[in-house]
Amino acid sequence: MSEIRLYDFELDENCYKVRLLLSVLAVPYRKMAVNMIPGGEHLEPPLLALNPRGSLPILLDGELVLSEAEPIMIYLARAYDAADKWLPSDANGLAMVAMWLQFASRDLHAAWRARRHAMFDASGDEQALHHAARRAFRLMDDHMTAREFDDAAWFVGTAPSLADLALFPAIALSRDFAVEHETYPALRRWMRRVRAIPGFITMPGIPDYY
Amino acid sequence: MQSAWYPIALAEGLERGTSVGTRLFGRELVVWRDAAGSSHVWEDRCPHRGMRLSFGFVRDNHIACLYHGWQYDASARCRYIPAHPDLAVPNSIRVATYASLERLGFVWAYGELDRADPEPLQFAERTVTPVRSLYVEATTAKVLDALASTIDRAVDNAASGTQCSRTASLVSLAISGDEILIAVQPLSEQETALHIVIAGPADVHRGASQKRISAWSEALRRKLETSTSQIRPGATS
Repeated sequence: MSEIRLYDFELDENCYKVRLLLSVLAVPYRKMAVNMIPGGEHLEPPLLALNPRGSLPILLDGELVLSEAEPIMIYLARAYDAADKWLPSDANGLAMVAMWLQFASRDLHAAWRARRHAMFDASGDEQALHHAARRAFRLMDDHMTAREFDDAAWFVGTAPSLADLALFPAIALSRDFAVEHETYPALRRWMRRVRAIPGFITMPGIPDYY
Repeated sequence: MQSAWYPIALAEGLERGTSVGTRLFGRELVVWRDAAGSSHVWEDRCPHRGMRLSFGFVRDNHIACLYHGWQYDASARCRYIPAHPDLAVPNSIRVATYASLERLGFVWAYGELDRADPEPLQFAERTVTPVRSLYVEATTAKVLDALASTIDRAVDNAASGTQCSRTASLVSLAISGDEILIAVQPLSEQETALHIVIAGPADVHRGASQKRISAWSEALRRKLETSTSQIRPGATS
């Protein structure tokens, strides 16, 4: 089988989602470093040929070319997690994970944009982005608060899933745009559990020590 | 800030070996629990370069600053400086602390730095079941008004043991047959934290009661953040 290639920018949380999953699945791959900022390499013809949307990450596996973190995660889980641990096969579990994956790409996009604004001077209404990001974090904290009443430790089901890995980066990196973890006690406890998943890795902005 | 006891966290939510930053009237505090289980409340500032200690990490019985790794023991004295491993650190290097204790399932801090002998906390210990901490974008006065309105209704319904005032840090009220205690933390001029427990043992109240009270608190938060006027009696459910 040909080698998996991941077009990756080290400081991007969507790329980190995929690196995190590849690490916990222990799937070998070749990292293709892209100079996204400041180089804008993802908007040059070679990468636009792979992904006309001009976004990262991009994953190549044999003939397959995929873009956007969540679909890539779905593919990797189905293709390389024979036990279906990370993407449930039952209807309820699969739908719940899909709901949180969409939350990660849609509701938490405000957090991605707020971080881009704070770190790289990207355009955006800072106040509106912060408000939307905090609203999303609060929904996550309310969910995990309720889960703890059922002695449940993860967003869906009884074990960590793609949902946990896709939701982790935005809140773990929120201090990059000055949103503290003070008001999210259930997420603080959940983040400690995510960090203890075998194969967990950090990225710049997420301390090795905690 | 008045010299008084303020609730700053739900005791059970503070796991061993962890720290978290919080605020009292806008002042930054770090609260952490050491490996032996004792909690500590300090000013959230490393004396070295002013870095927030809540960004650091807890190991055994000390907390370390993320910036240069200075380590402080449970008495808030600096015991180790990694850049000078052979140095006997002078006792004068220490973090400013708040007197603190745990009661009724809450961590309380006395609102005056380095106060050696604060007056005792008036509330007696009881067995409680923790529910959650709720963070609301509303003034503490508005939160207490809303809770007082809820209590008025509870009193009408002949519930017992309810009390509330505009300056209260602890409110007791009856919700669907459970007696709940709400400790109110003024975070800033615009934000308030409500730390919520159920009076009584966990084997009775965990699960369904916790969910019911948590859902009630989320509805209260929604009303506090959408309404600009005082919540009227009967307005909360």
